[in-house]
Amino acid sequence: MRKYMSYLLSVTVLISLVLAACAPQATPTPEPTKVPTATPVPTEAPTATPEPTKGPPDLTGETITIYHFGDLSGPYAAITAPLIHGAEDAVKAINEAGGLYGATLDIKFADTAGSIDEAVAAYDRFTGEDDNPLVMITYGSGEVEALAQRFATDKIVNISAGLSARGFYIDSGYTFGLGPIYPDQIGAVMAFLKEDWATYKPAGAEDDIKLAHLSWPTAFGQGSLTEESRAYLADLGIEVVAEETYDLSPTADTTTAILNAQAAGANVIWTNTLAFGVSVVLNDLHALGLRDQFVVASDNWGMDLATYAFLAEPAFGVGLISPFPYLWWTDTDNPGVQYAQQLFVANERPAAEHNVGYLLLIAGVDMAMKAMEHAIGTVGYENLTGEAVHDALVAMSPFEALDGVVRADYSAGSRSPHMTQIRMIQGGPDAFVVLQDWTETPDLRPSE
Amino acid sequence: MSALRPAGEFDTSYARDMATIRRPWQWGLLLASIAALYMLPSLASQSLVSLVNRIGISIIAVQGLNLLTGYTGQISLGQAAFMTAGGYISALLVNNAGWSFFAALPVAALGAGIVGLVFGLPSLRVKGFYLVMATLAAQFIIPWFTRNAFPEVLNRAQGLNVQVPVLFGVEFSSPQRYLYITVTVLILSTIAAHNVSRSRLGRALVAIRDNDLAAEVLGVNLFKYKLQAFFLAAVYAGAAGALAAHNIRHLNSETFNLTDSVFYMGMLVVGGLGSSLGPFFGASIVQLLIEGATLFGPFFTRLFPSTAAGAVQALRPLFFGITLMFFLIFEPRGLAHRWYLFKAAWRLRPFSH
Amino acid sequence: MNWQLVPQFVITGLLAGGPIALTALGLVLIFKSSYIFNFAQGQLLLMGALITWWLSVERGFPLGVAVLLAVVLSALLGLAIERLALRPMTGQPLLSIILMTLALSQVLQGLALLLFGGAQRNFPQMFSASNPYRITTPFVFNGQPIVVILKQNLTWSFVVAVLGVLVIGAFFRFTKTGLAMRGTSEDHELAQSIGLRIHRIFGLSWALAGVVATVGGILLATSSGLDLSLSVVVLAAFPAVLLGGLESIPGTIVGGLLIGLSQGLVAASRATIVRNAAEIMPYIVLLIVLLFRPEGLFGRKRIERI
Repeated sequence: MRKYMSYLLSVTVLISLVLAACAPQATPTPEPTKVPTATPVPTEAPTATPEPTKGPPDLTGETITIYHFGDLSGPYAAITAPLIHGAEDAVKAINEAGGLYGATLDIKFADTAGSIDEAVAAYDRFTGEDDNPLVMITYGSGEVEALAQRFATDKIVNISAGLSARGFYIDSGYTFGLGPIYPDQIGAVMAFLKEDWATYKPAGAEDDIKLAHLSWPTAFGQGSLTEESRAYLADLGIEVVAEETYDLSPTADTTTAILNAQAAGANVIWTNTLAFGVSVVLNDLHALGLRDQFVVASDNWGMDLATYAFLAEPAFGVGLISPFPYLWWTDTDNPGVQYAQQLFVANERPAAEHNVGYLLLIAGVDMAMKAMEHAIGTVGYENLTGEAVHDALVAMSPFEALDGVVRADYSAGSRSPHMTQIRMIQGGPDAFVVLQDWTETPDLRPSE
Repeated sequence: MSALRPAGEFDTSYARDMATIRRPWQWGLLLASIAALYMLPSLASQSLVSLVNRIGISIIAVQGLNLLTGYTGQISLGQAAFMTAGGYISALLVNNAGWSFFAALPVAALGAGIVGLVFGLPSLRVKGFYLVMATLAAQFIIPWFTRNAFPEVLNRAQGLNVQVPVLFGVEFSSPQRYLYITVTVLILSTIAAHNVSRSRLGRALVAIRDNDLAAEVLGVNLFKYKLQAFFLAAVYAGAAGALAAHNIRHLNSETFNLTDSVFYMGMLVVGGLGSSLGPFFGASIVQLLIEGATLFGPFFTRLFPSTAAGAVQALRPLFFGITLMFFLIFEPRGLAHRWYLFKAAWRLRPFSH
Repeated sequence: MNWQLVPQFVITGLLAGGPIALTALGLVLIFKSSYIFNFAQGQLLLMGALITWWLSVERGFPLGVAVLLAVVLSALLGLAIERLALRPMTGQPLLSIILMTLALSQVLQGLALLLFGGAQRNFPQMFSASNPYRITTPFVFNGQPIVVILKQNLTWSFVVAVLGVLVIGAFFRFTKTGLAMRGTSEDHELAQSIGLRIHRIFGLSWALAGVVATVGGILLATSSGLDLSLSVVVLAAFPAVLLGGLESIPGTIVGGLLIGLSQGLVAASRATIVRNAAEIMPYIVLLIVLLFRPEGLFGRKRIERI
C-alpha cells in the first residue's frame, strides 16, 4: 500500500509538471537572464549626451550588468511585467545598436513576490555575485524604502519607479526617481484644481475643496500624505476630511470607504494606487451611483492601460485626473515615443503591455545609459563605479531622457523630477487629454 | 531518550547517566562544529552565509514551536505572529528608545512571551482543533494591531526601518557579521530548549501531550503548564523575530505571515516533533528546499516557458507542500526519528534489534 | 457612530455574509463526514474560480458551460484530494491531519501560481456593475429618507449563496445519499457495520465541497476580479463555521450572516480604528465564541470519554 502510494504521488507530481507545460498562456514570459539577439530593431538610438571631456573609448568585449527586481507573482504582478519588458527590450536594442561604446549591456531580474524579505535577499544575491554593481532598478515603494540605506552605503545607483518620498530622501542618497514623489504629485493636482475649481467641481459641490484620501494601506498607498504635503494642502485651504483604506486586491470593497467619505462631506477623492486600486474605486462609485458627486484623482500610475483592465466598463475611466510626468503613446511626434513604439512592435509585446511602464522604463534605461556614458567620459571606464554614475546623474542635470519623454533634474539634492503635465481621461486610453502642460510641481521633499 | 549502548557499559553516577554528551569524541565534535560555524563567515560566500543566517533564525523559531507542539501537543499556527511582536518590540526599543540591540533582544523575547501568554489563555477552555483556531486568530490580530494601532509609532502598513545592531562601535550590517550574533543566540537557545525538555517542566509537558486527563489526575496543573509552554514558545519566537528584523532591517505586518507559520509547522514535522534535533533537521531541509526552488526556477522557466511568470515563487510552496505530504504519509515522526533509527542500527550492528 | 450609515452597512454586511456562508458550507460538509477541517478550502475556491476563468476567457466557452465544466472538474479535484492526500491519514493524530490540509493548501496555491501566473485578471461579469438596487428605508436623516444602495453583484451573490446552502441542506435531509452522509458523520464504525461505504461517502463529501467552493469562488470573483489572494480572503469563513457549529448546516448561514453583520456594524463607526477593525472582526468573534461557547450556536457539545 505504501509503495503504491509513493508511485501515485510521484505520478501526481509528474502530471502536475506536464499540466504546467500545457498550461494556458496566462501571462507573458519575462526573459530571465541573457538578452538574446532577435528580430531587426531600429538602429537609431536616442539623442546622445553632451560631449564628455575625453573621446569615446572602445569597450568591445566588456559586459556591463544592470539589475532590476520587482513583483511578478504577488499583488503587483499585473503591472510589473510591462516594466520588466520595457527595460529588457531597451537593453536589447542598445546592444544591437552597438552597446555602450561597444560593451554589451546585460540585465538581470529577480522576482520579489512583493515581499521585502525577498527584495533584500535579491539585493544580497546581486551584490554577492557582482563586486562592482553600478545601477539597480526597482519598482516598488516598499522595496525602495527598505533598501535606500543599503544603496547609499554600498554606493549603488538605484533608479526607481516607486516614487516614495521616504525612499528618496530619508536615510537615502543614491535613489533617483523616474517621476515626482507622491507628495509633490498630490500637491500639484490639488493646486491645479484649486485654481480652476469652478470648472472641475462636481454639480452641487461647495466652493471649498474637501479631500478624501482613499487608498491602499501600503507604503505606496500612503505615500502621498506626508507632513509636508498636509501642510501644503492646509496652506491651499484644502481640508482633508477623510482618510480611508481598502484592501490591496481586485476584490476589495470600497463601498465603506466611499460612503464614509461622502458622510464626511468630501468632493474630491485622491487615490494613491494603480490598476485595480483605481478601478475598484471607480467601479464602486458607479455601482453606488455616486460618481458625479466627486472629482476623482490619482497618482501618475493610475492613468494607464492597467486600470482599464479592471474597469467594469471602459467608460468608467472618464474624468480621472492625474499628474503625467512623461509623454504618452499618443504623442507620436516625439522621436522618443516613436523609438519606444518601434521596440514594442519589434518585440511583439501583447497589447496589454502597451502602457506607461513599458514606455517609462525605456526612458529609464536611456537615463542609465546616459549617466554611464557621462561617467566613462569623466573618470574613464577603469574608474566606473556606482559613485561615478551617481555624480554623473547630478552633473548632467537638468536633462531629458528619451528625447523628452521624461524631464529630469537631479541637481541641488533633488533626486526626483519636478516637471509634470496634468491630464484627464476624456475617452478611452487614446484620450489622455492634457489639461496643464509641463509645469513645475511644488517641492514637498521631507527634510532629512 | 537514552541512547542504545553495547552490553557491559554502565554509568557510575547520575550525572553521567543524564549527560547528553558522554564521550570525549562527542565533545570534540561539538566544539569543532561550533568552531566551524564561527569560521563560516570568513570562508563561505555571501549567499551561503545569508542562507545560514536564515536557517539559524528559523531553527530558533521552530525550537519554540517544538516546545509547544512537540512536547506539549498544542498545535499553534501563530508562531509568525509572535515573531512579529518580538521584532516590533526590538525595533522600537532600538530605534526610538536608543537601547542597544543586545539589551533589546531579551526584552523583546520576553515581551513576545507575554503576548503569547495572552493568546494561550483559550487553552484553559479549548483544546485540539479549537486551539489551532485561537492561534490562527492571533496570526491575524497581531499584524492588524501593528497596522492600525499607534500609527505614529508603528507606522501603519509601511512598517519600520530597523537600525543596525552596534556593539563597541562594530556595526553588524553585513550577513557575515550578523552570523556571529545568530550562531551565539542559536547556541544559547539550543541549550535552553534541550534543558527544558529534560527538566521537570519538560516532563510535565510531555505528560500533557500523552494523556492530559491522566496528567491532571497525577497532579500536573494543566493550565499552568500549558501557559508556560505558550510563553516559552513565544519567547523563542520573539527572539527569532528580533533577529530577523535586525537582519533584514525592515519590518512590517507582512514580514512574518500565515504562510511562515505554516512553514514552521512543516519544518517541525519534517524534522521531528519532540526531539531537540528536530528543529535543526527540519529548518535546514525546508530552507534548502526553498533555496533550491529559487535556483531551480530559471531552469524550470526554460523547460516550460508558458509558466514563466512567477515560476520561482510558485515552486516554493509547491516543493514545501509536496515534501510535507510525503513526510506526513511515510515518516510522520520526522527525520530525527530516522536519525535515531540509523544510530540504533549502527550501534547494534550486525544485529538488527 | 454614523447612525445614518447603519442601515446601509447592516444590509450590505448581511449580504456579504452570503459567500462566507457558502465557503463555511464547504468546510462543514467535510467536517461532518470525516472530521477533517479543511484548511485548503480557500485554495479550492481559488482553483475553481481560476478554472472557470480559464475555460470561459482563454478557451472561449460560454460562461454557463464554463461554470458547469468547472463544477465537474472541481468535484473531480475534491475526489482526487480525498483519495490521494486524506485517505492515508485515516487514524492519524489530529496534528498530521491538520498539517496535511495545510500542505495541500500550499501545493494548490503553488499550482495556481504556476499554471495561471500571478497577475490579477478581470472575471466575466454576470451581473450589471452599474445599476444598483435602491431600497428606501422608513428611517429619515437630515430630512431625507435613508436610501440603501445595493450593488447587483452583492445581492445576487447572496441569493445564490443562500440557495446553495438550502439546496445542500435539502439534499442532506431528503435524499438517501444525504441520509447516508448524516449516518456516517454520527459514527464511522456503526455506519460501516450497516453497510455504508464510508470511503465513498468521504469522497462524495469532498467532491461536494469542491463544487461548493467553485460556486463560492465564482461569486467572489464576479464582484471585482480574480486574484490569487482570494484564498486568503475566505479565511473569514473559519470563524463563521465555529460560530455556527462545526457540524451544522443551518449554522453556516447563521454564522456567515452574523460575521458579515459584525463587519458591517463596525464599518459604521466614526472612529477610524474601529472601522479598520472590520477585517479582524471575524477573529474577535471567534475568540469570543471560543471563550463562551466553543461548540458554536448550533453545534453539539462534545463530551470526552476517558
